[in-house]
This record gives sequence, C-alpha cells and structure tokens, in this order.
Amino acid sequence: MTENEMEILLVEDNPADVELTLHALRHNKLANRIQLARDGEEALDFIFCRGAFSARSFNCQPKLILLDLKLPKVDGIEVLRQIKGDARTRPIPVIVLTSSKEERDMVQSYQLGVNSYVQKPVDFDQFRETVKQLGLYWLLVNQAPPPNAFTGQPRGQPK
Amino acid sequence: MNGQGIRILLVEDNPGDRRLIQEMLAEVAGAPFVLEAADCLAAGRERLRVGDSDLVLLDLQLPDSRGHATFLAAQAQAPHVPIIVLTGLGDEQVAVQTVQAGAQDYLVKGQVDGNLLARAIRYAIERKRAELQIRKLNAELEERVVARTAELEAANQELEAFTYSVSHDLRAPLRHLDGFSKILLEDFGPQLEPAAQHNLERIREAVQHMGQLVDDLLTLARVGRQELNVQVTGLNALVSDVLAELKPEMQGREIDWQIGRLPFVECDPGLMMRVFANLLSNAVKYTRPRERAVIEVGQQVVEEQVVIFIRDNGVGFNMKYADKLFGVFQRLHRQEDFEGTGVGLATVQRIILKHGGRVWADAEVNKGAGFYFSLGAPGDVRTEAIPTPGGEG
Repeated sequence: MTENEMEILLVEDNPADVELTLHALRHNKLANRIQLARDGEEALDFIFCRGAFSARSFNCQPKLILLDLKLPKVDGIEVLRQIKGDARTRPIPVIVLTSSKEERDMVQSYQLGVNSYVQKPVDFDQFRETVKQLGLYWLLVNQAPPPNAFTGQPRGQPK
Repeated sequence: MNGQGIRILLVEDNPGDRRLIQEMLAEVAGAPFVLEAADCLAAGRERLRVGDSDLVLLDLQLPDSRGHATFLAAQAQAPHVPIIVLTGLGDEQVAVQTVQAGAQDYLVKGQVDGNLLARAIRYAIERKRAELQIRKLNAELEERVVARTAELEAANQELEAFTYSVSHDLRAPLRHLDGFSKILLEDFGPQLEPAAQHNLERIREAVQHMGQLVDDLLTLARVGRQELNVQVTGLNALVSDVLAELKPEMQGREIDWQIGRLPFVECDPGLMMRVFANLLSNAVKYTRPRERAVIEVGQQVVEEQVVIFIRDNGVGFNMKYADKLFGVFQRLHRQEDFEGTGVGLATVQRIILKHGGRVWADAEVNKGAGFYFSLGAPGDVRTEAIPTPGGEG
C-alpha cells in the first residue's frame, strides 16, 4: 500500500475489536486502505512521522482517523489533544469510536475539537451499518481538507 | 430538686387560700415541701426566672391575668417546671383546657386536703420528668435516623457506581460475542447442520438479551447518580414526544389513546420523559393481545395531591405479586409471552423517588393495569392555567 492509497488510520488496541472493525470496513468495501495502530504511541508516531515511521511525509495524512479512547501507553484523549493541537495535523478528521458513552469523555473530546463521536453499538448489524454510514459520509460526501489546509496558507497567497 | 426539699412556688393572690395551702403542705409528714409565695403573675414569673422552683401551684384568676392566659404565661417563663393549676368551683372547663395545653394537673380549691395535694405534687413532678425524658430520647432518635439515612445514601451511591462500572465493562465482550456469532452465522451458517444453526441462533438471542439488560442496568444506575435538572414542564408535550417515538411499536395496532389534560409540573424533563416512555411502552406491549387497545393517561386529585395515571385494558397482572413489580430483574410475565428485562419499572420508581414522589400500581388479570405516580408533597405540583389539547391517536 503506497502512501497515496491509505485513507483510514484505525487506532484500536483490542484484537477482537480490530477484527470486527476491519470486518465491518471490508463488508463495506473500505478495507484496502487501512493503517492500523495498536496503541496511542504508535498512532502519534505515525501521524507525526517519527520513530518507526520517520520515513513518512507530512504531506500524506489519512483522510480519516478512527480513534478508540481506551488505549495503552498513550490514551485516546491525549492522541486527540496532540493531533488537534498541532496546525500541521489539526485538519485531519478524527472520529472517536468507542464503547464509552460517558459524558466526561464526550465533553473532553468535543472540547479538544473531535469531528465526531460515535458509540459502538453492541449489535453487530447496527455496528456494520454505522461503519457504512461513517465511511460513506467521511470518505465520499465530506470534502477532505486540501493540502494547503495543513500549512494555513490558502493557494495563491505569498508564503 | 436539692437536698433541702421540694421547692414549691405558690402563685395565689387570695391570702386566705394562700394560708390554707401553706398549712396543708406544712402538715405533710416529713415536711418535705419548701414554700415560696407570689401574689400576682408578674411576681410569679420573676421567681420562675430566678429558676429554682421544682413545681408551681398556679391560681388562674390573678389581679394581672385571668384564665388560660395565666397558665400560658407561666409555662412560657419556665417550660421545664411542672405546673398544677388551682381553680375555683365552676372553673373546671378552663382547668381542663390548661391540662390539654401542658399543665400536669388541676385541683379545685375547697376540695383539696393535704394528702391529695402532696400526692398531686409528687405525681406532677414525676410526670414532668418522664415527659422531658421522652423529648430527649426523641431528639436522640432523630439524630440516629439522620446518621443512618446518610449511611444508607452512601451505600446506595456505591452500589450505583458499581452497577454502572460493571455494566459498562460488560459491553465490550458483549459486542465481541454478538459480532463473531453473527459472522459465524453468515459465513458458515449454510454449511452447518440445522441443529448447529439453531444453537448458534440461541446464542445470538442470548447475547442480544444480555445487551439489552446491560443497557437497562446502565440507565438505572445513571439515573440514580444523576443530578435533577428541575424545570417547569408541560406533561402533555412530553407525552406527545413519547408517542412519536413509539410509532414503530404501534405499527399495525389499533390503539385508542385517551390522553387527558395533564398539569405543568416542576420536574426533570429528560427523566420524566423516560418515565412516560417506560410506562406507555409497557401499556402498548401488554395490550398486544387486544384487538383494540385502550390506553388512558390523565390526572386525578387524591388527598390534595395531583396523581398522574396511565391505565390500559391489557393482560394486567396478579396483584398478589404487586410488591415485586418495581424490583430489579423482577418480571411478572414469561419472556416468551412478553419480552423484557425487568429493569424498566425499577428505573421509573428510581426517578419518581428522586423527585420525592410515589409510584404504585393496581391491576386485574386479563382486565388491565393502572400505574399511578405523584411528585413531591401536596401543593408542590401546580395545576396548569392553560388548557392543553387532549387526545392523540
């Protein structure tokens, strides 16, 4: 998979949840373009092109990040904070996909600028339908941020 | 009372009556009584203020006060000192009134002798001591009740926090169960023997049911921990919203909704909506066997309190199990006849209790059921001034 083909960064630590989410994405024909991160540190290294991913370039960010909140090493809220706190990565749409409906988590996420907050339904059919709707909306309907969104300069203006 | 005897304050303006009593008391064996005299209410109150009388003998008709008011004034001055009222013939009614107001006894002048007086005095002192003891015990009891209530509150909160965190943690494995069993059924179902498919389907049903249980428990626990957000709320509007949500469940059903005029009340609208959602969806569910369901929602006044009711003509329940109705996981019908988790009514009760109200039900098997609730004390609920349209289909 080349960098250009990668559309979704899935940040999820639980293997069963990884499997089910990939299954749902595959079911909706979205699975070729997924990068997986198994904890918060790996996710941040990937997005910020460092550590194991220092060969990556900032120009090639995923169209969408699906973020679980309960992660080892660095938790989801901290990952969200860093991504939305940096102008080079802020425009990337982040969807929190979690089993928690805790008000505290929702409040924090929205205050940090999350683009969407989705609670994973227990029912698998509903989950697949949710993933389908998310995929349709964020990858087809939604206009991805243009490259200049990441530098803060609209095209045609002097740098 | 000190070692120097029982100190009696005699408040009597008639010198003759005074001397008589002095002599009677002096003659009592052992001369235990020490007498002080005052000839008007003001002087009597002054002596009481100094505060070492063990008992007061009080004539009601004094130069500066007459009748019941005399007693009240003396009692106010020294609430802990027993008072025996002295009355003339024909004044008994007033005397009885004072006893009802707290006098320990009354004696009719001219019908008293030394022995009677001494006995009356001793009894009065003991009775007053007993009365003060009761008051003290009551106060201690109150304190203990307050402490116990606080402990109970704390225990309840711990339980709710526990329920919440357990239910929450159960969701993840439930999701996995549901997901993988579904994938199994889809990808490999056709290859499986019917018996195997059947077992797999039973597993999926169990998972779905458990998911519902966990969600309902989470709701129950969350409701318990929530702060009430009280606002004036129109109940008819809430009912309309709930009916809109119930439309899917009402597909293909003939239901006669008789919604009366409901009051505006001070309550948490979100929680109150959940109360109606639970009670109305129950009514819809348990009237399913009826060709034509009739569901009534209205208000009635019971002992000065506004009570909201929801009545249906459904399958009802046996009143002998009524005390289980609001228990968690308690159901009065079989799962295969009527689906459910047994948490809905527990949640309703929790919400109503949080509002300081009461909820109860009555029913007859196969005739129908009625659920009633009040919110807060009588007078808390305002009945509306603006008439609201009734009846939604």
